[in-house]
Amino acid sequence: MKKLLVLLVIFAFSVSALAVINIKISGWPGNPIEEGVIKSIVEKFNETHSDIQVEWTPIPGDFRQMIITQFSAGTAPDIFYVDTFWFEEMARQNMLLPLDLYIKRDNFDIDDFYPSLVQAFSYKGRIYGIPKDFSTLALYYNKEIFDKYGVEYPTSEDTWFDFLDKALQLKRKGFETPLVLAPDFNRLIPFVIAANGELVKGDLNTGLTEPNSRFAIQFYLDLVNKYKVAQEPANLGAGWIGEAFGKEAVAMAMTGPWTLGYLRGQYPDVVDKTGIVEMPHLINHATMVYTVSWSINRNTRNRDAAWEVVKFLTKEGQKMFVKGAGVLASRKSIAATDTDPMKEAFYAGAAYAIPWRVPTPSGIFSKANDQINSKLKDLFYDKISLEQALNEIQTNYMSWVSE
Amino acid sequence: MKLSSKAREAIAGYIFAAPIIISILLFTIYPVFAGLYYSFTNYQPTEAQKFKMRFIPEEAMMFHTAVFPDEEDVSYEEIANFFNPVDFVLYDVGVNLNDKQIEAIRKYLDSERLIKDFLAGKLKEEMTVSKFMEKYMKAESNLFKRYIPDFLGLSNFKKMIKDQYFWISLKNAFVYSVIVVPVQTLLAILLAVAANMKIRGRGFFKAVFFIPSISSSAAISMIFWLIYSKPGVLNRLLGYFGMQPIDWLNNPNTALGAIMVLNIWTTAGYFMVTFLAGLQGIPGTIYEAAEIDGAKFWRRFWKITFPLLRPQILFVSIMGIIGCMQVFDQIYFLIKNMRNITISYYIYKNAFEYHNMGYASAIAMVLFLIILLITTLQRKFIKEEAYF
Repeated sequence: MKKLLVLLVIFAFSVSALAVINIKISGWPGNPIEEGVIKSIVEKFNETHSDIQVEWTPIPGDFRQMIITQFSAGTAPDIFYVDTFWFEEMARQNMLLPLDLYIKRDNFDIDDFYPSLVQAFSYKGRIYGIPKDFSTLALYYNKEIFDKYGVEYPTSEDTWFDFLDKALQLKRKGFETPLVLAPDFNRLIPFVIAANGELVKGDLNTGLTEPNSRFAIQFYLDLVNKYKVAQEPANLGAGWIGEAFGKEAVAMAMTGPWTLGYLRGQYPDVVDKTGIVEMPHLINHATMVYTVSWSINRNTRNRDAAWEVVKFLTKEGQKMFVKGAGVLASRKSIAATDTDPMKEAFYAGAAYAIPWRVPTPSGIFSKANDQINSKLKDLFYDKISLEQALNEIQTNYMSWVSE
Repeated sequence: MKLSSKAREAIAGYIFAAPIIISILLFTIYPVFAGLYYSFTNYQPTEAQKFKMRFIPEEAMMFHTAVFPDEEDVSYEEIANFFNPVDFVLYDVGVNLNDKQIEAIRKYLDSERLIKDFLAGKLKEEMTVSKFMEKYMKAESNLFKRYIPDFLGLSNFKKMIKDQYFWISLKNAFVYSVIVVPVQTLLAILLAVAANMKIRGRGFFKAVFFIPSISSSAAISMIFWLIYSKPGVLNRLLGYFGMQPIDWLNNPNTALGAIMVLNIWTTAGYFMVTFLAGLQGIPGTIYEAAEIDGAKFWRRFWKITFPLLRPQILFVSIMGIIGCMQVFDQIYFLIKNMRNITISYYIYKNAFEYHNMGYASAIAMVLFLIILLITTLQRKFIKEEAYF
């Protein structure tokens, strides 16, 4: 009798276990606030869905590489973050599930998402991920420092020359380093586009040697070497731009909404002194948009269940994320309800932002990115001339982005 | 079956050794041969499972044709007109193919039966790609059973010769080894001699010298990041001597040197232990005789200690070269400029970021041969026997 009971219990257990589908979702661990929000989103889903249970398993370290390795072994999670920078690489390797059929079948409101963000995750006419949020770059400034030295605040209508002028004023009046700048290619891009230059030409060869692009690069470097109003974070005793701004080593920084969250956590008194306006423009307005999607593993065993989870994550989940973690909503409907005044400049930038995804013949830009960043570092330290750097880029670019 | 006691002992020995034998075979020997194989191909790890991927053929057909057969009535001819079997397999089923496989699909995929089955609603069952290809290929379906990378012959190696960063990273690794190994060895000997002397607290000194070598390289890298940064401790100290602060890790001139100092500090203690053991083997009588003859400390050191430690020096320098040529951890954590990377970091970049596992394996093979050559030459020229 006892044995029968035990068998029955085990049977009931396994049947119920079989009936519940377990979906593993993964991303990189954010700051503690983001982590907390994700956990509550997962809880909410699990409460409201008895047949699907979601488990959040963040992967620290080199996320992209871990996912690729796990995929090669067949053990990748069902749903994971995909950053637009390496999205195309994953799409080409057939790691992501195309979602168009599901969107059509369920009448999913894909039009509620900003088109540029959906585009960021499209390849060969198919959509491979739903953007979960986005970030753009804007100009942070420290009101107290500007007041102290009697310089006018930056505004969203400033041109490059207004921007340079204000920085020079600060310097002349005694503030050592008004601006922090990173020798990072994606931070240079808004300048190239604002000067009406291009990153790549029609044949996908580099556009950085064209006159307009050259002008923009020269301006960026002059801020460091000629006008001496800018330094890279390491020279200011900071690990990154946000830290340099938080430590008040600089009066201005061009960075994204993640810095706001960071300041609120680490340097709350600086937040009160911070103003955020759109990036200075020249011929065009330009800024970067960084976005990450929820994508489904092409090899997942439970496609329909995974799709249900993605729908939740990008609707109810997004509402909770925007409110709790201070990110920018990728849905126009939710963006309309986000009235935090500090985020205005970021939302405004979405209209003219350039996605951090450079088209290449091989689908991978990271090799060229490493090379260009290496040149930028050399240029920041005056080790080579701009002429030399551009020549080397021109000669080798195609080999960096091919095969 | 009665086994002799000798056989029984042998078996027992093997069973005890089995765990380590198996793990060395699996995690060291097998990868070496696999790497050798991959270096002649364009192996992509993400494609290893591609034919085992499960999918629903009906969904793939719906993608290709934009037709929902349950809801609409479409004729066979309409679909057959624009159906492209190669594109179908490449983008809608979702498998990357080489030229041979593409040719096979063009010739032998039974598109007619596939479309008819699709319209009849017979494709709803989930199946693996290899099973699907078996069903619908009239011939040569064996090409789609397992992923076999393309054989490239020597082209990875030819590419290496033309690759600027291969030579830069190899040169960096060489320079690094040539400087670090002698300094490290010498420092280790000095530390061993110091630790061997009968001074107070020598147990403490031994521990202090040794601890860096067993500490996590990641933790040490973080600490040195702080020390070497522009407003860091090192620049403060040098500031007292009137030196301008230098960004040791970002400046391409000083970055590699900074890492060398880090590494020497870390591993000298480890080799000190080897030399300590070696020193115990030198009979004290030789020193006594030398002292009686009037030899001073440094004379005794260079003429007695150093030559008699020859076997240990050989061991330490070989281990040192093997380790230094492969230096990775510190470069990964601290070096941001592509000019200063070493060859194992370049291998890592190629394998995991630039999607060139085959090319990375080729570089790894070349590195293996270079280290093998160096250590063979070294053993030949520095005889192992001690002087007695």
